[in-house]
Amino acid sequence: MTENPIQSASEGAFDAFHTPQRELVDDCVHCGFCLPACPTYELWGEEMDSPRGRIHLMESGLDGEPLSGSMVEHFDNCLGCMACVTACPSGVDYGSLITQTRAQVERRHQRGFWERMLRSTIFALFPYPRRLRALRGPLALYQRSGMAELLKRSGLLAKLPPHMRTMESLAPPVRRAPKLPERVKARGQRRAVVGMVTGCVQSAFFPDVNAATARVLASEGCDVVIPPAQGCCGALSEHSGREAEAVKFARGLLDKLHAADVDYVVINSAGCGSTLKEYPRLLADDPDYAARAEHFSERVRDVSELLDELGTVAERHPLPGRIAYHDACHLSHGQGIRSAPRALLREIPELELSEINRGDICCGSAGVYNLLQPQAAGQLGDRKAENVADTGADLLITANPGCSMQIRTALERRGESMPMAHTVEVLDASIRGTGVKSLSER
Amino acid sequence: MTTSTGDAVRGALTGAIGSERVRDAEEGDTVGGVRPRWVASVATTEQAASAMSAAAEHGLRVVPRGSGSKIDWGAPPEAVDLVLDLSQAGGVLEHAAGDLVLHARAGTPLDEVRRVAADAGQQLSIDQPLPTATVGGVIATGTTGPGRHLYGAVRDLLIGITVVRPDGVVTISGGKVVKNVAGYDLGKLYTGSHGTLGVITEAIFRLHPVAEQHRWISVTLDEPAAAGEAVRVVRSSQAMPTAVELERAGTTGPITVCAQIEGRPGATHQRALELSEVLGSAVGVTGEVLDTAPEWWGEYPFDGDTGLRLGVEPSAVAALLTGAQQAAQRRGVTLRTRGSVGLGLVHAAIPEEVPPATVAELVGELRAAAAEHHGYGVVLRAPRAVLASVDPWGPIPAGVLTLMRRTKDQFDPEHRLSPGRFVGGIR
Amino acid sequence: MQPASTANQTEAETAPTDLEGLIGRFREALAPESVITDPQRLRTYECDGLASYRVVPAVVVLPENADQVGEIVAACAEYGIAFVARGSGTGLSAGALPRSDGVLIVTSRMRRILEVDVANERAVVEPGVINLDVTKAAAPHGYYFAPDPSSQQVCSVGGNVAENSGGAHCLKYGFTSNHVLALEVVTPDGDTVELGGRARDVPGYDLMGAFVGSEGTLGVVTKIVVRLLRAPESVQTLLAGFPSTDEAGGAVSKIIAEGITPAAIEMMDALSIEAAEQAVRCGYPEGAGAVLVVELDGPAPEVEHTFAEVQRHCRDHGAFEVRVAADDAERAMIWKGRKSAFAAVGRISPDYIVQDGVIPRTALPEVLTRISALSAESGVRVANVFHAGDGNLHPLVLFDGSEPGAVERAEEVSGSILDVCLAHGGSITGEHGVGADKVKYMGRMFTEQDLDTMQRVRCAFDPDNRCNPGKVFPTPRLCGEAPGQRRGVHPLTEAGLADQF
Repeated sequence: MTENPIQSASEGAFDAFHTPQRELVDDCVHCGFCLPACPTYELWGEEMDSPRGRIHLMESGLDGEPLSGSMVEHFDNCLGCMACVTACPSGVDYGSLITQTRAQVERRHQRGFWERMLRSTIFALFPYPRRLRALRGPLALYQRSGMAELLKRSGLLAKLPPHMRTMESLAPPVRRAPKLPERVKARGQRRAVVGMVTGCVQSAFFPDVNAATARVLASEGCDVVIPPAQGCCGALSEHSGREAEAVKFARGLLDKLHAADVDYVVINSAGCGSTLKEYPRLLADDPDYAARAEHFSERVRDVSELLDELGTVAERHPLPGRIAYHDACHLSHGQGIRSAPRALLREIPELELSEINRGDICCGSAGVYNLLQPQAAGQLGDRKAENVADTGADLLITANPGCSMQIRTALERRGESMPMAHTVEVLDASIRGTGVKSLSER
Repeated sequence: MTTSTGDAVRGALTGAIGSERVRDAEEGDTVGGVRPRWVASVATTEQAASAMSAAAEHGLRVVPRGSGSKIDWGAPPEAVDLVLDLSQAGGVLEHAAGDLVLHARAGTPLDEVRRVAADAGQQLSIDQPLPTATVGGVIATGTTGPGRHLYGAVRDLLIGITVVRPDGVVTISGGKVVKNVAGYDLGKLYTGSHGTLGVITEAIFRLHPVAEQHRWISVTLDEPAAAGEAVRVVRSSQAMPTAVELERAGTTGPITVCAQIEGRPGATHQRALELSEVLGSAVGVTGEVLDTAPEWWGEYPFDGDTGLRLGVEPSAVAALLTGAQQAAQRRGVTLRTRGSVGLGLVHAAIPEEVPPATVAELVGELRAAAAEHHGYGVVLRAPRAVLASVDPWGPIPAGVLTLMRRTKDQFDPEHRLSPGRFVGGIR
Repeated sequence: MQPASTANQTEAETAPTDLEGLIGRFREALAPESVITDPQRLRTYECDGLASYRVVPAVVVLPENADQVGEIVAACAEYGIAFVARGSGTGLSAGALPRSDGVLIVTSRMRRILEVDVANERAVVEPGVINLDVTKAAAPHGYYFAPDPSSQQVCSVGGNVAENSGGAHCLKYGFTSNHVLALEVVTPDGDTVELGGRARDVPGYDLMGAFVGSEGTLGVVTKIVVRLLRAPESVQTLLAGFPSTDEAGGAVSKIIAEGITPAAIEMMDALSIEAAEQAVRCGYPEGAGAVLVVELDGPAPEVEHTFAEVQRHCRDHGAFEVRVAADDAERAMIWKGRKSAFAAVGRISPDYIVQDGVIPRTALPEVLTRISALSAESGVRVANVFHAGDGNLHPLVLFDGSEPGAVERAEEVSGSILDVCLAHGGSITGEHGVGADKVKYMGRMFTEQDLDTMQRVRCAFDPDNRCNPGKVFPTPRLCGEAPGQRRGVHPLTEAGLADQF
């Protein structure tokens, strides 16, 4: 199905299965508007670590250049934050290009032993809510799995343990959050029936966010359907080029949620939301699922998007204080959702909203990027933390669990801290009138 | 030297441009005390080219001249054989009013340009003060006036230029459109080059509309520090002053800071009153709004005196004035200062009667005072005795001087154009 | 040794160069990751914003400070190897096109704003600093950096200096050369000099004036002192929709004739509106054959009055909709459509050429008619975006490279447009520069002697022609004997006039 007859599996960087599309590559006019938007260009100032440079590398690959280690390095360096997509005036579909490229890399490039170990560990853990939940912290697994010994012997991965340790300290003690019921009834007049995707990291580490989401939706007149035992949506795998795995997860989630008869499918995690909306592409080759994916993704909404779309009915109680809103890349760049969460937060009386300087640059979390590229992620985290601290806000709001963990760690490295909450938790506190301290003094 | 050889040269010049255009030089043709042998008067670019070709053939050293209003500026030339007089090469060739562009020959008096532009409600914003100054001379010396604060200097207004090279070849740079980045912008290089790179014969300028009303806001203060503050307040206001000038008639005594604003009738006066109030409250002295410019406005403070241009970074004007005051006081010299302080430029005058040695010392100290603030001091013109003991240009950093020298060598490899008149003894 | 002395690289004829030795020198002077020799990585630097010209450089270096630039250039001088400087790589004339036998010096890591000096209304920046970041740094103090090329969010100040970049607001405020006070420059010899100065009118030749806009052929700039302007008290922006470019052009002429100097007047025709609309959904008036973006700034009472006049002139000339930006967000939206126009054309055509020509503003109607005729005769679509206030046209010549002959037809139309500009007394480039792309047109605008004269400056700075060779000038000038050799007494004086004849 390749468009390029010259190309074969033995020549060039890519094989014929889902080759990065030449037409998409050709859409790039080389104007460079993406450069300042790109976090890695911001860090290193190198062409090949910019979106324009990566597209150029893809082009070389299509022209017959082999998939060399250096080429792979620059693809791996991409955070997939999609800030370049926002910046691009020519409408280059970088998202598709990098996803296709990553899948090729995973299939065709032989990584070193230690890196393979690291990746398989990550993907044996994160996409499985129950495995995550079973942990007291990642360190437990890290020790139990025998990884500790392996990692210690690897110079490459010497940087990893601190991250995992940090994560252990970050991960809130698995709270005895009330188990979510399978259905929450709308308060007052019913305006919609929504199915809720509970996510992996969100449900394991931030169960309060899911509870708040259900409460806020109910308060705004939604019947919330929460199918139990949901699997991973496939986002982490897809963003890392593990296409087959991502497809498997996507089918699983569709099976779970398709049965529910809902008007909308709601998600409160930005990274997952952006993948749910991409299901049609992910499942395009699957005759059994293609149509269902199309139907499904049309109904997918980020929770802030849906609340903004529906309009608020529940009364907001004042929450005096200053908050800073952090744009999760997969929300702002991936899904183009910037104004909805801000509008919802501005509706809350006495709540002051500060903007974060250079807010459009990724914090470095980017799915599992901070585990795979700890150094770059750390530098980006430091920059983000500085800008966040500069706002002087009492509370940082973000719609992605990865961002929260990343920024919290980075702030701690600076010897600072700032309480964090998800947009819906703030709305929940305002609707319930529990006050700002319910969020900042948890 | 025999008469016949002189005749041969003269014959060549006559052959090139006609006998009525060539004459022997007179006392009044001396350039910085150096008397040329001939004067060739040309009316067009082509004639200038012919004259320069003839001069090249005979190895003549040439000084171009317009009306001669600033012929005594700069260092005396090492030698001059021929003065190329461009005062007859006048005339506005084109005024494209709709494009705000004007094309004139180098010998055109600026006054004539002003009249032509004014007919269309436009101006060439080079409000330099000398009444006979020509287009070419103003470019060669880079002279400006108060309006330069907003509208820019000669280099910013010149968009195209025709120059005859020392070898007689006519070349152009730029063009008749304001926006143009094709090739090097040689107009800027020729601006202020004092006739050392080529003979400017035509120029194209961008014009600006003339505002309907002008007002001047003036405050008079006792001390340089207060004057510096007044300048800062005006500069940093949003009133958009088109000029910010200063005048001090003596070494000490009152300093007047005066800003010009312009715009449509009525509103301009109102804005002037507002700026005057802001200014007055900042420096504690009531400002005054004037309907006409003060009589000193835009005039040089020197005539037969030693006239300097001192430049510093704009925030250092007060420091410069203080330094100048102290240096003059130490020598009991009356120093007049005046200039475009909004840009950190000040003209200073040391009276003609001050002994040259004292002038030289004072110039040295003024240069030192300016240098403390990234500045410099140039002696624009001076009595001959003073120039004997002062390098009018002052020191130029070695690396840049090398580049300047190489530039001159490239443009004038035989060193025949105004040799020795420019910085660093470039010949 | 004089390698790389012609536009067409004739490696066979030049003496073998010790590239490996030079690279070794770079590795001593720079961090390992700052010297790029991996072929795939090098290839990402093969072109700037004009991707139709591609040459893979022999080596790319990424200096982090002025000293390193000095060392790199000095080493190039020692080894006799040509070099090209590059900033963000957004130029549209292939001015930063590398040399396959040369070094590409990329300043993208030199992006520190060293100083914002409000008292002196200036900032000191490194060459890799992004244009818009200068304004961002000055804005809290109520100041801004005036040059605003459409790529200002990505282009570097060093690149602006090389190209003498303009932008929409240069109608009133001038170009980069009007806003640079001083430059620190590494000359092709490897020496560091300061051109211009922090005071105005420093004595000597205005070498800075010649350097700005010299397209990287005179040296590598390592520090730039720029003027900052006080932010205007009031800014008003309007968007007016007209049935066609004729009416819009009439409005422009009227506005200028009335003695109004807007901060900017920009025009877009139907095709470019369509592209911008698809790209950024800027919401321009529906059905417009042309739009004007007019911005006025200055003291509030002046702007208020003049803005009303401008609106009246637009309506008098057939504007069917005049939309006034109510706030910064609306102003940004109006500008977004205009500033993204070039790249946006990628949405309506697979390939296109961005042309950049200048005409006297009054010739606009005639020239536009001529361009439409060229388009009709050739069947090649042309979208027009221009800085109408100063007659700077950006015709976008659309084509599909996969169609046989399409490129040639587009290039012919594009070249003919420049001829039309020249026939009206205009210029072949208003802001994109000559670079490698327009070298072939220089002879149509200047005589050989004009170009020779310009290259005398080149010879003063770079006698060995190692600094971005092959750009700007169609034929390199041989600089002859080392300049400055001829010293001593003038021959006429020495021999005496009598002996002379």
